[in-house]
Amino acid sequence: MDSNKKYWKGLEELNNEPEFVEKNKHEFAEPIPIEDVLTGGGLAGKTPRRDFLKALGFGVGAVTLAACQKVPVHKSIPYLIKPEEITPGVANYYVSTYDGHAILVKTREGRPIKIEGNPNDLFSKGGLSAQAQASVLDLYDYNRFNNPLLDGTDSSWPEIDAFVKLELAVIKAANKKIRLVTSSINSPSTLAVIADFIAQFPTTKHITYDAVSYTGIIQANQNSFGKAVIPHYHFEKADVIVSFGADFLGTWISPDEFSTQWVQNRNSKSLASKKMSRHIQFETGMSLTGSNADSRVLIKPSEEGPALVNLYNAITGTTLPGSKPLANVNADKAVKLVAAELKAAKGKALVVSGSNDVAKQILVNAINAQLGSYGTTIDLDNYSNQYKGNDAEFVEFVAEVERGEVDAVFFLNANPVYEYYKGAEFAEALKKVRLRVNFAGSKDETSVHSNVVAPANYYLESWGDSNPIEGYYTIIQPAINPVYDTRQAEQSLLNWSDSTTKDYYTYVRNNWDKNLLAKGGLSGLKGWETLLQTGFVKVADKPASNYSFSKDLNGVAQTILVQSSKYAAPAGSYEIQLYQSVALRDGKRANNPWLQEMPDPVSKVTWDNFAAMSPTDIRNAGYVQGDVITIAVDGQKTVTLPILAQPGQTQGTISIAVGYGRTEVGPVGLGAGKNVYPLQIAENGTFQNSTVAKITPTGDQIILAQTQTHHSIEGRNVIRETTLKDFVKDPTSNSGGSLKHKEYETLWDDYDHPQYNWVMAIDLNACTGCGACVVACSAENNIPVVGRDEVRRRREMHWIRIDRYYSFNDGGKSVTEEKEIQDLKDLDNVSVVYQPMLCQHCDHAPCETVCPVLATVHSSEGLNHMAYNRCIGTRYCANNCPYKVRRFNWFNYWNDSRFDNYLINEHTHLVLNPDVTTRFRGVMEKCSMCIQRIQAGKLKAKIEKRPVADGDIKTACQQTCPTNAIVFGNRNDKNSEVAKLLDSERTYYVLEELNVQPGIGYQVKVRNTVETEA
Amino acid sequence: MASHHESIIREPLVTGENITYAKVTDDILKPVENMPNKAWWIGFTVASLGALLWVFAVSWTFWYGIGSWGLNKTVGWAWDITGFVWWVGIGHAGTLISAILLLFRQNWRNSINRSAEAMTIFAVICAASYIVCHMGRPWMAVYSLPLPNQYGSLWVNFNSPLIWDVFAISTYFSVSLLFWYTGLLPDLATIRDRATGIRRRIYSIASFGWTGSLKTWQRFETVCLILAGVSTPLVLSVHTIVSMDFATSLEPGWHTTIFPPYFVAGAIFSGFAMVQTLLLVVRKVLGLENYITMFHIEAMNKIILVTGSIVGVAYLTEFFIAYYSGGEYEQYTFLNRFIGPYWWAGCMMYGCNVLMTQLMWFKKIRTNIHVSWVLSIVVNIGMWFERFVIIVTSLHRDFIPSSWAMFYPTWIDVSIFIGSIGLFFTMFLLFIRVLPSIAMAEVKLLLKSSSEQAKKKLMAEGHLEPQQVEFYKESLTKFDSVELADYKK
Repeated sequence: MDSNKKYWKGLEELNNEPEFVEKNKHEFAEPIPIEDVLTGGGLAGKTPRRDFLKALGFGVGAVTLAACQKVPVHKSIPYLIKPEEITPGVANYYVSTYDGHAILVKTREGRPIKIEGNPNDLFSKGGLSAQAQASVLDLYDYNRFNNPLLDGTDSSWPEIDAFVKLELAVIKAANKKIRLVTSSINSPSTLAVIADFIAQFPTTKHITYDAVSYTGIIQANQNSFGKAVIPHYHFEKADVIVSFGADFLGTWISPDEFSTQWVQNRNSKSLASKKMSRHIQFETGMSLTGSNADSRVLIKPSEEGPALVNLYNAITGTTLPGSKPLANVNADKAVKLVAAELKAAKGKALVVSGSNDVAKQILVNAINAQLGSYGTTIDLDNYSNQYKGNDAEFVEFVAEVERGEVDAVFFLNANPVYEYYKGAEFAEALKKVRLRVNFAGSKDETSVHSNVVAPANYYLESWGDSNPIEGYYTIIQPAINPVYDTRQAEQSLLNWSDSTTKDYYTYVRNNWDKNLLAKGGLSGLKGWETLLQTGFVKVADKPASNYSFSKDLNGVAQTILVQSSKYAAPAGSYEIQLYQSVALRDGKRANNPWLQEMPDPVSKVTWDNFAAMSPTDIRNAGYVQGDVITIAVDGQKTVTLPILAQPGQTQGTISIAVGYGRTEVGPVGLGAGKNVYPLQIAENGTFQNSTVAKITPTGDQIILAQTQTHHSIEGRNVIRETTLKDFVKDPTSNSGGSLKHKEYETLWDDYDHPQYNWVMAIDLNACTGCGACVVACSAENNIPVVGRDEVRRRREMHWIRIDRYYSFNDGGKSVTEEKEIQDLKDLDNVSVVYQPMLCQHCDHAPCETVCPVLATVHSSEGLNHMAYNRCIGTRYCANNCPYKVRRFNWFNYWNDSRFDNYLINEHTHLVLNPDVTTRFRGVMEKCSMCIQRIQAGKLKAKIEKRPVADGDIKTACQQTCPTNAIVFGNRNDKNSEVAKLLDSERTYYVLEELNVQPGIGYQVKVRNTVETEA
Repeated sequence: MASHHESIIREPLVTGENITYAKVTDDILKPVENMPNKAWWIGFTVASLGALLWVFAVSWTFWYGIGSWGLNKTVGWAWDITGFVWWVGIGHAGTLISAILLLFRQNWRNSINRSAEAMTIFAVICAASYIVCHMGRPWMAVYSLPLPNQYGSLWVNFNSPLIWDVFAISTYFSVSLLFWYTGLLPDLATIRDRATGIRRRIYSIASFGWTGSLKTWQRFETVCLILAGVSTPLVLSVHTIVSMDFATSLEPGWHTTIFPPYFVAGAIFSGFAMVQTLLLVVRKVLGLENYITMFHIEAMNKIILVTGSIVGVAYLTEFFIAYYSGGEYEQYTFLNRFIGPYWWAGCMMYGCNVLMTQLMWFKKIRTNIHVSWVLSIVVNIGMWFERFVIIVTSLHRDFIPSSWAMFYPTWIDVSIFIGSIGLFFTMFLLFIRVLPSIAMAEVKLLLKSSSEQAKKKLMAEGHLEPQQVEFYKESLTKFDSVELADYKK
């Protein structure tokens, strides 16, 4: 039905008034001022609302577009032709050699990022030192020489070759002396190259010396047995080990190997059969080895000789001329007791001395021969080639230079201006040499005095080989092309001597084909390829024969006693003992920030060396720790160093580490400590490490950057130890009864760990505290270096640390509380214990409950995760962590120019492990138990369609530990190594009474002490 | 609120002659309606310089990271959380005065509640700023709110006391602000009625069209009561939850069940001390002696004495429990407060909070304005040290001795703290310039019943017992704003 109704909006429309009709003619009631705007009149007029909105819209749009900066484009080009062996995201491992150790170099997309021990390495079966772990960082050190230098200015290889060859031709024509100065070389190929060079230039002589010399041992063996070598020691075969100042677990000859050997009589396996070796250390300063000894006897350096003489007397029952009881009553008593113990362990005893004095070493040889050690604990037939230095030859070389007889000198891996005790004088004399060629890879004190710097490749860029032990040959292969314009030293020598073999790779190949492959039963290309996968060849050991000692000892005793009285400090003076620090050793790696920031195992000092003094001496002299003193030898050689109060330091002595105080080095090593090589002495034809000095205060005070400043355990059961005697009686001795652990009433629900429960066992009896795990962890997990000032503020970032505690023995009672220690009169009877401390991955983690944003949570595999992206940095988790293992990113370390000096820059970004993210400032981080390795291990097992096997996955700390003190694995697997260890009677959990259910069990430390002693 | 008859024995809450409603308004609005005097300018300059320092130091922290503070791997909180708890504690007096005292019909609160509530709000702002500043990544602070997100069921951790804190502090701040503003409405209307021009427009909007009708007043009173009811649990809950930041951890020295009541008492203690610090100056500078009288000062001092003693008992309990628990870590922590390297901080805490406040037992001392002011500052210092001792002295030596470390503040730590005081005073000084520092409407309620002149009138009428009158006169001797000569006749 149609509607005829009409609707109208107003009376105007109804009435059709003229105004209405007029208005309704147009679409818009009011005219749009387009004309006004376009003619400019609109600007003067009132802006309509719509125009305003249009202008606003356009304006905002235009500004937004203008503000859109072009995003910087990073071009990443995929492989056009993918190299067969490289799959992005998958690591490749290459065998190589570090310092005689067979190693594996882990590379990612062509970049070496980590060094691992070769599990079949003769020395430490996959264990590696902190130095080896840190060595990968030096590859990316932008302070290395980027190109050869001629007279201090940038040059090119053709220019260098032309210059050196011309010079050599002139020198050869004039028949002038050429000297090749190196540290010990045990590479067969390098030695062959040198021999070729000498053949070409017959006036050449190869001088070998070492910054820290072992000439004493070598010559003593020449003297005693006619073999100028270092023997191969076997600590694993010794039931009684007596060391006179030899830091064989820390720095002496082959410490990683010795640690592996030493622990075999002290680890869980050995203790299971109730057996443990006994280790007695006579020493001056507190070394890593001394701190691990069962009994430690304090002697001054000057007492070492007489003590050896008395030991010889006590063992043989004879009396060498001139011998008399030691003035040091404790040591005198100890020598007699030790002699009895050694005699009782005949054939299973070993005496070593860290001295570089030939006479002392001859006496040590005599003692060992008397104890039947040759053929058992000492192997002179499969001897060591690790050190070959000849101090006398070097001294003669210096004299030749000073006389101006030498026209050309080549330095290979040698830095005598720094390391030689008269380095400054040598540098002066060097000016008389016409051609001074240096193969140093980065700037050092000698390279600045050389007119040709022909930088050698880093070992990770090199071909080569090594023969550290007779019959053990390892290969060095490059894992990357040279990063800078460098060339192998051997290649340079080949070029300069116009060798028929044009490149060193071929030279090495030929050498192996001809001489070495056959030793491993290999041959030809196939043999070579096998070698490049196994890393070494090993000839079966020759039978170690027994050597008898038949030399007259009267003269030897005489020499020892004369020297001893010559270097005994008169009243008011101190005996100075120089030693190598575990982190820096001889100082060649002073520019490595991982090593500089690695806490010294004993003192926990980073970034500096110091004068370690006995607390009693410090108290008596009125000093405090940190006071800077001037140490003056003969009133002329002086060095200023801060004092460190070192419990266990012999009274009247000061110990100082060499290897610091580099002056021509990259920014990391510059300003770290003082050089004390000049305090060395040359005595009886060898360089020796003790002298006598007077000290005076300078009035200055320095705060040493220590990562631990409280040194006593305050009677807390965080550390649990027992004696072998008690342990044999009751294996649960002091562990708190292993079966009752973790059985507390709890308010929380337990987590299910259906498949895996990742846990760890750490054996306090196996851990020597060497710190290799700390550096390995830094390399694996991209842990930033923070520098001296930040360490002083107690902000080091290490995910694993090694706690070190001193306890004092007071009349048979162990004193561990600070306030009682302060009242002790006798601070010499110190025991040391090390405890690796890392995230315990508690099942009832106190950090997890307090995090407001769930950035740290528990996994179904028993791990405590950190989600960096979720963390807002309230730090409550760190406060609530009873173990204090969480680390906060106080600054944006990876992108903060203030940390450039610690090699945190775009060069070292290449060493970062791509499997581990770097952390931004403001977030918390901590040990993840190498979650990336767990994931990789699970993935591999999955691809291979098998369950993860025990031992498939190793954490970085575990992998590098030379003593296998750290074992990681799946607790759910009852047959796993870790499960067995955690079920042992020695296991306890740190702070278990808090019921946080830690995932890391520790094994009680056992000391093989004898009550009559200590 | 409601006017009622009271015994003459009670001391007057408003003193002075010829106090009329108009005079009350004139007196209280003097700073709001006139140009500020020299004292205000000096104070404001100093305070705003402090606030600038705060802006600078906080910006520095945001730019470079928390590393610019003195914290380390062992001591993860120090001046930041000390400052946070200190400011939250200070805020507590305001809520107590506005809520609990209102419910208990303590009319003397009428003259001090406005300033105390303002102080609460400013203190909570300072405290909240510390929460954000102390985060490693403050730009991610939003993660601490349970907001929907693209990660599915990613919530905040409701187990974490820090999340309770977020709720507690934000609730506290919003309720306090609401309560304060509601109370301001009639006074804003008063200013509006007297103002002209732009000020009139602003105050007009701010007063929400207050008409002053009977219905308005009735609703106003109802809303105030409801809000008082809502805020009352907050007085107890906020600092209880703040204390749980510590109590729910397992850190020795934090892990203590006495913390909630102990912290609440401590908060009220420090809050009243801060009210005292501020009002003793304000009443002098702004000439408000007739409204904030000796009675108020003494009453607040009594509260300080009581809460200070509660805190003292809590300290003793803590020590006893540490001894009685047999827990070696807890025992060491408490011993360490006296014999450790921070012994001086412990002495400041126990000395300022317990020993010094015991002086308040003496009437001479609690009615002496200068001594009261000094003591209120002493309490503020003592309470800062209490939090410092709880946080730093506990953290710096806990379970594993290898990690024991010292904390040394940097200049940024110090600047942020001093700056936050500057920020607080800047806000407070602006407040007394634009808003009445005393609740005029509520004071006016007291005139008929509790003012000095009302009581004089009662006495003049002569219906009172002479002893009562004597007693009353006796009580007036402590007042500095009463002309005693009038009573000699």
